Amino acid sequence: MKPAPFDYLAPTTAEEVVSALVELGDTAKVLAGGQSLVPMLALRLAAFDHLVDIGRVAELRGVERRDGALWVGAGTAQATIERSAEVASAVPLLARATPLIGHFQIRNRGTIGGSLVHADPAAEYPAVALALDAGLEVLGPDGRRTVPATEFFIGLWSTAVGEQELLTGVTFPLWDGRCGFAVREFARRHGDFAVAGAAVALELDGDDRVRRCRIALFGLGSTPERATAAEAAVTGAVVGEVDLEEVGRLAMSSLDSVPSDLHGSSAYRRRVGGSMVARALRAAGEEARGR
Amino acid sequence: MTSLEATAARYVGARVPRVEDPRLLTGHGTFVDDVTRPGMLHACFVRSPFARARLGRIDATVALDLPGVRAVFAAADLNPGVHEQWYTLIGKDVPDTPRPPLAEGEARFVGDPVALVVATDRYVAEDAADLVDVDYEPLPPVVDYTTALAATELVHEAYPGNLAGALGAPMSEDLAAVFGGAAHVTSATIHQQAYAPVPMETRGMVAEWSGDELTVWSATQAPHEVRMFLARLLGIAEHQVRVIMRDTGGAFGQKVLPLREDMCIALAAMRLPAALKWIEDRRENLLAAGMSRHEHGEAQMAFDGDGRILAAHLDHVQDVGAYPTPWPVGTAMAVGLLFPGPYRVPAAGYRTTSLFSNTSGRTAYRGPWQFESVAREVLLDIAARRMGIDPVDLRRRNLLRHDELPHTNPNGMPYSDMTPIETFEQALGMLDHEAFRREQADARATGRYLGMGTCSYAEPTTSAMAFQGTEGATVRIEPSGKVNVYVAGGSTGNSLETAVVQLTADALGVDIADVRTVQGDTAVTPFGAGTGGSRSGSMLAGAVEESTTVLRERIVTIAAHQLEAAPEDIELADSSARVRGTPAVSVPLAEIADIAYFQPHRLPEGVPPGLEVSARYRARSPLIWANATHLCTCEVDPVTGAVTVLRYIVSEDCGPMINPNVVEGQIAGGSVQGIGGVLYEHLAYDEDGNPLTTTFMDYLLPTATEVPVIEYGHIETPSPGPGGYKGVGEGGAIGAPPAVINAVADALSPLGVEITRLPLTPAAVVALIEGAR
Repeated sequence: MKPAPFDYLAPTTAEEVVSALVELGDTAKVLAGGQSLVPMLALRLAAFDHLVDIGRVAELRGVERRDGALWVGAGTAQATIERSAEVASAVPLLARATPLIGHFQIRNRGTIGGSLVHADPAAEYPAVALALDAGLEVLGPDGRRTVPATEFFIGLWSTAVGEQELLTGVTFPLWDGRCGFAVREFARRHGDFAVAGAAVALELDGDDRVRRCRIALFGLGSTPERATAAEAAVTGAVVGEVDLEEVGRLAMSSLDSVPSDLHGSSAYRRRVGGSMVARALRAAGEEARGR
Repeated sequence: MTSLEATAARYVGARVPRVEDPRLLTGHGTFVDDVTRPGMLHACFVRSPFARARLGRIDATVALDLPGVRAVFAAADLNPGVHEQWYTLIGKDVPDTPRPPLAEGEARFVGDPVALVVATDRYVAEDAADLVDVDYEPLPPVVDYTTALAATELVHEAYPGNLAGALGAPMSEDLAAVFGGAAHVTSATIHQQAYAPVPMETRGMVAEWSGDELTVWSATQAPHEVRMFLARLLGIAEHQVRVIMRDTGGAFGQKVLPLREDMCIALAAMRLPAALKWIEDRRENLLAAGMSRHEHGEAQMAFDGDGRILAAHLDHVQDVGAYPTPWPVGTAMAVGLLFPGPYRVPAAGYRTTSLFSNTSGRTAYRGPWQFESVAREVLLDIAARRMGIDPVDLRRRNLLRHDELPHTNPNGMPYSDMTPIETFEQALGMLDHEAFRREQADARATGRYLGMGTCSYAEPTTSAMAFQGTEGATVRIEPSGKVNVYVAGGSTGNSLETAVVQLTADALGVDIADVRTVQGDTAVTPFGAGTGGSRSGSMLAGAVEESTTVLRERIVTIAAHQLEAAPEDIELADSSARVRGTPAVSVPLAEIADIAYFQPHRLPEGVPPGLEVSARYRARSPLIWANATHLCTCEVDPVTGAVTVLRYIVSEDCGPMINPNVVEGQIAGGSVQGIGGVLYEHLAYDEDGNPLTTTFMDYLLPTATEVPVIEYGHIETPSPGPGGYKGVGEGGAIGAPPAVINAVADALSPLGVEITRLPLTPAAVVALIEGAR
C-alpha cells in the first residue's frame, strides 16, 4: 500500500493550478484533502505522474455571502463548514449533511470541492448541491464558467470539470420563508458511505401547502439523482396529508441503476431509499410547519 | 522451608493501572516496524491474482533492472532451504497439511505469495513487484467449501474430495434411538460466515543473519515458538536464533504460529547481506493472513416432555481454505467435544469434517472452537420457541449447577470448578429479565422489535498439553533492591507485564514501582510457550510463585541472621524484612541485596550469594475450566434491518481476578469481536474466488459508536491452579456471537423468523423478515 512514484506540485493561485493542468494534461491530478485520492494511490488503483496540491491556494477557501447566495470556496474543509454559523443559518441542508461525512478526522482534511469533484454517488455533498440547484464555479484555460448542479454530475465518479479545469467554488441559493431541510441516510456504521440516502428541501405557503420541494437521492445510482416524480407529487399538497411512504416508493420508481453489492441488493437499497425519503420528508415538513 | 506465609496481597486483586500503558499511550511502544537496522532491506510479496492457477515461468528481469531492487526470489530459490517444518505447539507427528513458503506449481488462492521482492525500501519493492512477470494459467477454483467434497477440481492433488480430515461419526443407532423416543426433537443447520482476527498491528518481521546468528524481530504471540520453528526450518541450532518482540499490537491467534510469509522472510534473510524487513499491509492482512469461523453444522437435540435435554449431536463441516495453520482437524475436534456445553446432556455425539477451498487458509482465532456455542445456543433458542417456552426457562431446566461438578460430559470433557446456572442467574438479575419482557411486550404493541439473547459456555483454559504445560520465571533482585522479573512473554495487549509485576510485588512485599519485567527476548528470558489457549494468567502466576518462593526463603534466612530472629518470625513488607509484630526491627531489602552480592562473608552458613532465582512451574491439572453467560438486548428496525445493541451483560467466572481491569478488558475485546462477527465482519469472496473485502471500506469492524457499554458481573470460583486463577482471554469471543444472534431472533420472533445463517447484515435481516411473511 505504497503509491507509485509521482512528482508533487504545490502552487499558490488558482491560475497556476490551471496552468499546471494545461501543461501536464492527464498525467496530473488535483490533490485536495486527499481522503479518497490518497487511499486509491496507496492501493495502486490509480497512478499519476504529477499531483497538484491545491492546499496552499488561499483564494479557494472561505464562506461568504455573494449576490444573495452563499459562496463556499472549493478548498474549504468540511470541518470548517460544519462549524460555520453562516452555513448553518443560510444553507441548513449543507450544514446538516456535513456531520454525516466520514469521521471528524476525515472532515478536517476533506474539502467540499474534493467531495463534489470526486462525485462518489453515495456521498452527501453532491446530493445537497443537486437538491439546492447549486452553481459550480469552474476555472479553465479559457476563463471561468458556472455549471448548474443538474449538469455537473455526468457519471460514476465523473463530472463536468475538464482535465484542464479546476473547481473553485460553489454557490448555494438561499431559501427563505417557511422552509424545512433534512438529510437522512442509512449506513452500515457511523461514518460509512450511505447504503441509501435522501436530502430534502421543502418550502410551504401560509396554508401548509408545499410550494417547493426538492428531493435528491444518493447511493441509489451512478450519480446523485433528483426524484422529480416524487417532488411533483408533493408540490401543491398539504404537507401533513402527504402519504410519505407512497412518496418514498414513487421516488424509487424511476431509478434504473440502483447498485448491488456486499452491503445490499438493489431491491434492498430501494426499500431503504424509500424509507429515507419518507423520513427526511417528515422531518423537513415538521420543521417548515414550525416556522 | 515452604511453610513461609505469603505476604499480604496488596496489588493482586486490585484495579492496578497497566504498567504498559504509559509507553503505549505516549507513542513509546516498540513494534516490529519501529525496528531499523543498518542497511536494512524491505520485502514485498508478489501475490496471485487468481484463486487457482498453474504457475509457469516467473520472469524478474525487468524488476531486477529497477534501481534499488536487490533480489527477487521464487519458490525454486527459497523452498529448497526448508529443512524441517513443524510447530512445537502441534508436534511433528500429526498428518499436517501442506504449507510451502512460496507457492509451488499452483497458486491456490487470491493472495497466494508466488515471489518475494527485496529492495532498498518498500516503495521500490512494490514498484518492482508490479514488474515481476508471472505466467499464470487460470484453473477452475474450488470456492464453496460446502460443495468441495463432491467437486471434480482439487485444491491439493494429494487430498481426494478436498478432504483435509474428519473425526467422529454420524449419529449412532443408540443415539438415534434416544432421538426416536423423545417428546421433542429440534434440528437446525446453522451457517457461520468467514471472519478474521484483524489485529490492529498487521503481521511483520525483521530478520538479520550475521553468518552465525539469526536475529528476528517478530510480531508474535510466542517468541520461543518462532525461535524453535525457524531453527528447524533453516537447519541451524536453536541457540543460533534470537527472537525479540517488545510490543505486538493484537494477534488473537493469527500470530500464534509463524505463517508462510514469516518462513519466506527468514529463508531470504539467510541469503542477504543485511536485515530484511517485511511489514504486512492491511490489504495483505485481509487477503492472506487467514480466515476463521467459516463453518456450518447440523445441530440436533432431543428433549423430554419437560424440556430436559436427552441427547445432542452435531455434524460439523468447516472450510480450511488452501493452507490452514495449524493442522485444522485437531482444532475442529474441540467443536464436537464441547458441543454439549455447560448443560446436563446424558448422551451426545459429533462428526467434524475439514474441507479445503481456494481461499485464504484457516488460522487460529480467539476460541477457535467457538462454533460449538453458536450451534448449541442458537439451537436451544429455536427449540424453546418450537416448544413454546421462554428460552430462559429452557436453560434454567438444563444448566449445570456448581454443586453438580465435577461432571464429565458425554464426549469425555471433565468439567470442574464452574458456575453455569449461577452466572446465568446473575446476568438475568443484572438485566432484570422480567422487566425486560414487559418492556418488550409494550414495544411490540407499538410496532417496535426488542429482543434478548443469551449464551452460556464452558471453556477449557490453560491446557497443560506438551510445551504449554510448563512456564518459567527468573526473578532477580538487583544490588539496589530493585526487582526484575524475566518471563518468556508473548503479550499482544494481554497485560502480561502488569500481571507479572503485581504478582511479584506481592510475593516479595515490595512496592509495585520497584518491580519491572523483561519479556519477549529469547536470549534473555526463560523458555515459555507464549500467549494462546487462555493460559498466561495461571501459568505466569505459577512461574512467579515457584521463583519467589525460593527467593523469599533466601531473603528471610539472611534477614533472620541479621536481625537475630527466628526465620518463621520474619515477614516481607514495605521493601524490607521485619520481625512480625515488631516492625521497627527490620532490614531493608536493599541492604539484604548488598550483603547477598557484595558482602558474602555476612551471609549465613549455606546460603548462596546473590538474589536471583530461576524456577519452572508445572501445570497442576490438564485443563482449567472457566465459564460465563453473555446476555445481549437489541432493537431491530424492521424497515432497514439495522440491529442496535442496547445492553450487553457478561457474568463470568475466571476465578479470583489478578486485576479486574485486565479481566474486563479481555472480556470487552472478545465481546466486541463477537458482536462484529454477527453484525459487521465478513471476509467475503465472489463465486470466482475473488476477495471482496480487502480494505476497511468493505471489511467492517465494529467501532466505539456501534458497541454498547459492556456490563460485568463476576463470580470467583477458584480453580485447582495457582491462586485459583483461570484463563479469560478467549471467552468473550465465544460467548458474544450466540447472545447477539439470539437477541435478534427473539426480537423478530413475532414475525416467525428463525435465524440459521450469518452474518446478520441489515440486508440479511430484511430478507429474513420478508421470507417469514
